[in-house]
Amino acid sequence: MMLSRIADSLFWLNRYMERTDGILRSLRYFYILGFDSYGGYSFNYKPLLQCYTGLSDTAIDEMSTDTSQVLRYMITDTSNINSMRVLLSKARENARGSQDKITKEVWEQVNAMFHYINKGGLDKKLDGDEALHVMDQLEKHCLMYNGIVDSTMPRGQGWEFMNVGKFIERCLQTVDLLDAYLQPIEYDLAKNDDLVYWRSLLFSLSGYELYLKSNRGSQHTRQVIYQVMFNADFPRSVIYSLSRMQRYLMELLEQNALASTVILEKKFGRMKSMVEFTDPASMDGQYLEHLLKEVRQQVWDFSSDFQKLFFSYT
Amino acid sequence: MQYVKPNLNTWDEMFSNEDVRERYRNVFETLKQLSGEALEKKHLQASDFFMNQGITFTVYSDNQGIERIFPFDIIPRIITGKEWDQIETGIKQRLKALNLFLKDIYHEQQIIKDGIVPAALIASCPHFLQECVGIKVPHDIYVHISGIDLIRGADGVFYVLEDNLRTPSGVSYMLENREVTKRIFPDLLAANSVRMVNTYPMKLLNILTSLSPRAVDQPNVVILTPGVYNSAYYEHTFLARQMGIPLVEGRDLVVDNQKVFMKTTSGLQPVDVIYRRIDDEFIDPLVFRPDSLLGVPGIMSAYRKGTVALVNAVGNGVADDKAVYSYVPAMIKYYLNEEPVLSNVPTYRMENEDERKHVFENLGKMVVKQTNQSGGYGLVMGNRASELELKDLKEAILKNPRNFIAQPIIQLSTVPCLIDGKLEPRHIDLRPYALCGPNGVEIVPGGLTRVALRKGSLVVNSSQGGGSKDTWVVDIEE
Repeated sequence: MMLSRIADSLFWLNRYMERTDGILRSLRYFYILGFDSYGGYSFNYKPLLQCYTGLSDTAIDEMSTDTSQVLRYMITDTSNINSMRVLLSKARENARGSQDKITKEVWEQVNAMFHYINKGGLDKKLDGDEALHVMDQLEKHCLMYNGIVDSTMPRGQGWEFMNVGKFIERCLQTVDLLDAYLQPIEYDLAKNDDLVYWRSLLFSLSGYELYLKSNRGSQHTRQVIYQVMFNADFPRSVIYSLSRMQRYLMELLEQNALASTVILEKKFGRMKSMVEFTDPASMDGQYLEHLLKEVRQQVWDFSSDFQKLFFSYT
Repeated sequence: MQYVKPNLNTWDEMFSNEDVRERYRNVFETLKQLSGEALEKKHLQASDFFMNQGITFTVYSDNQGIERIFPFDIIPRIITGKEWDQIETGIKQRLKALNLFLKDIYHEQQIIKDGIVPAALIASCPHFLQECVGIKVPHDIYVHISGIDLIRGADGVFYVLEDNLRTPSGVSYMLENREVTKRIFPDLLAANSVRMVNTYPMKLLNILTSLSPRAVDQPNVVILTPGVYNSAYYEHTFLARQMGIPLVEGRDLVVDNQKVFMKTTSGLQPVDVIYRRIDDEFIDPLVFRPDSLLGVPGIMSAYRKGTVALVNAVGNGVADDKAVYSYVPAMIKYYLNEEPVLSNVPTYRMENEDERKHVFENLGKMVVKQTNQSGGYGLVMGNRASELELKDLKEAILKNPRNFIAQPIIQLSTVPCLIDGKLEPRHIDLRPYALCGPNGVEIVPGGLTRVALRKGSLVVNSSQGGGSKDTWVVDIEE
């Protein structure tokens, strides 16, 4: 038995934490890769800003080559609703509201992250040579959070709500990031087969090593898309996220006999099938653009229906 | 380690006039070996513990929320087993009488008919709730959870300063303070065989479960909190976690057909017992304050019907009113035919002309309190107030005498605290937490020692710059 309000808080706790993790992962690798000069290719933070902020194209163009400004905006600027400081404050509020259902260890970790991101002088560190150290620390905190959740949270409804939230967020992040890389090449799957172009996307999703181990040849664009969309063994692929969402959704539906569960189950099944039964080999750019758009829209719709079904306590 | 000797006119918990008290011998010897820096390090360690646990409150300044911890002093307060036995007996006796008083006052009102307590005193008490008259509560227990504030005077005797019978807070600090001490003074704690306090949540859960109106194996017990912005929210989550019960807000509950339900992911589930941390006036907007968003509409109808147990009972405020407090010794004699084990602090009711005259003549030696205030608010120390403040105070008393009581200023006992790297005496009180269930009253050995950290201050409330200490009950003979 779980209070709807608590389920809501756990769902959003993990959504915010997963978003923080995703942003940090991207930001850190963009920062590191930004130091490498490569054949006239001008590296910038545009895909990251497109994916994680609501800034206008002009604002993105102005900011995308200014590393200090990007770091401050994405980490500590409270005017950005997706800055880590804002996300971690929201995560902590949700953790606070559900403290009796999360473990003490999870609460302490969220709390420690909140205090770290709000520590005085963090802005200054981001301007100087400590920027990478700050991101390393935050990354360790994120890894600790995931490890602590995994090793201390009891399996049950709380765990399941947390995971549905986490994988909705992860799925959307992967779709948005891939879209941000495909837009500049106008979804022409034959246009850019340069691995250096795709490397920052793969690093952002912690999938570069897997990519190198699993792929040979020069058709990098299609291979990267395959890994990011359809590889069921890659934990940040769209299909992996959907499979996990389905698993936790089914467990929740089993435990909560509610009237409209069948509708939600079928809707989800249709969405997952759309990705699962796409043939990556014969897919062209136009279809891929349509597919990403559809997946994004349907995940949003699913998230909204899911919340209405379980959290409508007001 | 440097230390400042206490004032000889007050009772110091560590030092007698001649030497270190036996109960503190071990602690003092250990402290003597430690430098001021080493003690400061322990202090920082304790602060980090509270900060990491989220045992904080938020101070808003320039629209920025700053997280602060409640001040904790690392030097423990020590009480001997013999002293504790007397405290325990006194509190049990007092609670027995107060429970009988509440039952009586909301039913027959025999104590008024017999002329022990004046009818006007009760009628004028804002916490006497007509809406509670005639309500039958499980096992006739009204005060399940209480925090009785004790002070020790210059004579070394414990006195009751006030009774907190509504939603007393601070028990989580009693428990967390001990957890911190285990980290900073593990050897000392072990060497002194300090009595255990962490059975409190188990005892509380047993009592809450025993109050269920439904005869089921596992009744649904919840804690009702005003929400995350309440200053005691940490305590609410702490207790919920320690007892393994849901922490609900008013919006999580709904009343249907005079039964309370909680809104869960699998629909409405019945609620049997509510440990509510919401004041009476906010608990049901249909009965009390209509603008309350914290409570549950209709909950009083379910309570009256007996389908849900509320802990503490609604209407308890009449028994811990500061003016009614002065009648508790009389209640003990009336209901139990016993002499009070713990004495009250002499209290003057401003409605009584003779007592008022005496107070006005000796205002510089009095502390004047508003009967409807708590947390150190509405309190005037006669020896620290200006002429103008005393004049305003007299006018306010004359305008509404029922609203005030006065007590002689008592020099609370002191205990050394770590102040700027050295030990300095500061005034303290003690709030033991008592639990009252069908099987009697249980009190975990210890309590919350509150300390006035400002030099010379006698106000220990956290809202007025007070802090807290771990309280040890040790079996050492003196």
